[in-house]
Amino acid sequence: MNRREFLAAGGGALLAGLPAALPATPAAAQTSGARARIVIAGAGAAGLAMAARLSRGMPGATITIIDAKKEHHFQPGFTLVGAGLWSPARVTERNADYMPRGVDWVEEAVAEFDPDANAVVTASGRRIDYDFLIVATGLKLDYTAIEGMDASLIGKEGIASIYAGPNEAAASAAAIDRFLETGGTGLFGRPAGEMKCAGAPLKITFIADDKARRQGRRGAVELIYNAHGPAVFAVPPVNDKVKEMFAARGVAVNYGHVLKAIDPGARRATYRTEAGDVTLDYDFIHVVPPMRAPDAVRQSPLPWQEGNLAADGWVEADKPTLRHPRYANVFSVGDIAGVPRGKTAASVKWQVPVVADNLIAETAGRTPSATFNGYTSCPMVTGYGKAMLIEFDYDGTLIPSFPFIDPLKELWVSWLIEEKGLLGAYRAMLRGRA
Amino acid sequence: MSDFNPVTLFFILSEAMGGFLWLLLAAGLLLLGGVVFGVSRLRRAGRPAKRPLMAAAIMGTVATAVFTLLMPAWTLTDTGAFASGIDVAVAVLLGLVPGVLVAAAVFTMASLRCASRGPRVRAA
Repeated sequence: MNRREFLAAGGGALLAGLPAALPATPAAAQTSGARARIVIAGAGAAGLAMAARLSRGMPGATITIIDAKKEHHFQPGFTLVGAGLWSPARVTERNADYMPRGVDWVEEAVAEFDPDANAVVTASGRRIDYDFLIVATGLKLDYTAIEGMDASLIGKEGIASIYAGPNEAAASAAAIDRFLETGGTGLFGRPAGEMKCAGAPLKITFIADDKARRQGRRGAVELIYNAHGPAVFAVPPVNDKVKEMFAARGVAVNYGHVLKAIDPGARRATYRTEAGDVTLDYDFIHVVPPMRAPDAVRQSPLPWQEGNLAADGWVEADKPTLRHPRYANVFSVGDIAGVPRGKTAASVKWQVPVVADNLIAETAGRTPSATFNGYTSCPMVTGYGKAMLIEFDYDGTLIPSFPFIDPLKELWVSWLIEEKGLLGAYRAMLRGRA
Repeated sequence: MSDFNPVTLFFILSEAMGGFLWLLLAAGLLLLGGVVFGVSRLRRAGRPAKRPLMAAAIMGTVATAVFTLLMPAWTLTDTGAFASGIDVAVAVLLGLVPGVLVAAAVFTMASLRCASRGPRVRAA
């Protein structure tokens, strides 16, 4: 790209409020005429984007997508719903609107994966054979793994959680408002295992702090972030920056605290720590549930058999290609993929073209060559109108897309990307166009 | 950055703006036609473009400034959110979009009005 193209693309991107977080790639120029049977398990962001790309790149293939879910949620927007800025309707769409023409949508859940027989079985018992399987089921929010906790408690008894869905995110916004009115202690934190959008627990802490300041109620609330490990964020420079910001804003941090149980009536939370269980009183708590693979995946041969990704059932995958090492015709994309860090829409944006291009190349008799570097992104909202555009790879190396945006600086332009840019880029990604 | 391309940008804009993108493009084309038409009318009338250009520059600048100041509100925040020069630069770039449209509209109207006054009479 020469200087003129660079400026044109960059200017256009900024005018569009386009995120570096979801950088775009050209659509695969090559196609495959193979008459393969492709099954995509899951019609979330990864499943739909994959279906869109494969339906264009493999016009002779039979593509079946399996998912009972009819609503589609723009999950990166849940933070803004939780901040009280967006309505749930703004992040709720229909899967049918993004289903590519020619793709067969089986509106059922996958009940069983049988990779040894190259087949999946749906909830109604229907067996579907495949030549290639794309596992894109997403993950399961396991609220009940926290003793005393249930998703139905969100919005009640000072309990918030922006992860459960748009309505729960809106209920969380109302819970924050009530907390700021009454004052007291607010607890935040995250689970110990792999999770989607690991920046979200920090974002909601920053939002609560900023909202309290704007309402002149900061002195009435104590905010405590309970980090699951020895750091608040896995990428060292980001961890240092967030710790510095928490210190400057009076947000206390407890390290090595994992939420184990909650007593909603008494408003007490119990954390597992190295020194034993610790119980903290609260007036408000933002609960982030443990996240795991859906049961059908966990009960199949697909998950890692050992290592730190095995316990929660993440699908075994080769990091650069997302291909299953034991089942060569199986790939995993999105939250379910058993790779470090990549449970964001930004990762999906980069994972899907890699798998699609390689599948198209392979079935056309060419050598697959696309690789995924672990790119993920977090527009870390640090207040109303401010964010840090953090992008990094598998190694935790910061890889900013825009040279003029400092990833560790709170900027309005990064907020602009979060508030105005992401949704359009996300929709284009669902259609396989970004 | 190396992965941006005009086709992708178009699809993203289209998904972000929906029908408004086509309205914006239509308005842009209409105003471009208006500017070309205005220039041709001025030439035929033998009138200079100085006054229409001045009016367009002034109104375009004012519109850009106003829309730049509205950018934070458009993104559900306030002007205190501008934290650095890049924030202001991006806000001005975005403000330029309506600013240029306003300038084009003003130039078109001013040039037609100017041209309707007939050719400038020069002293012998």
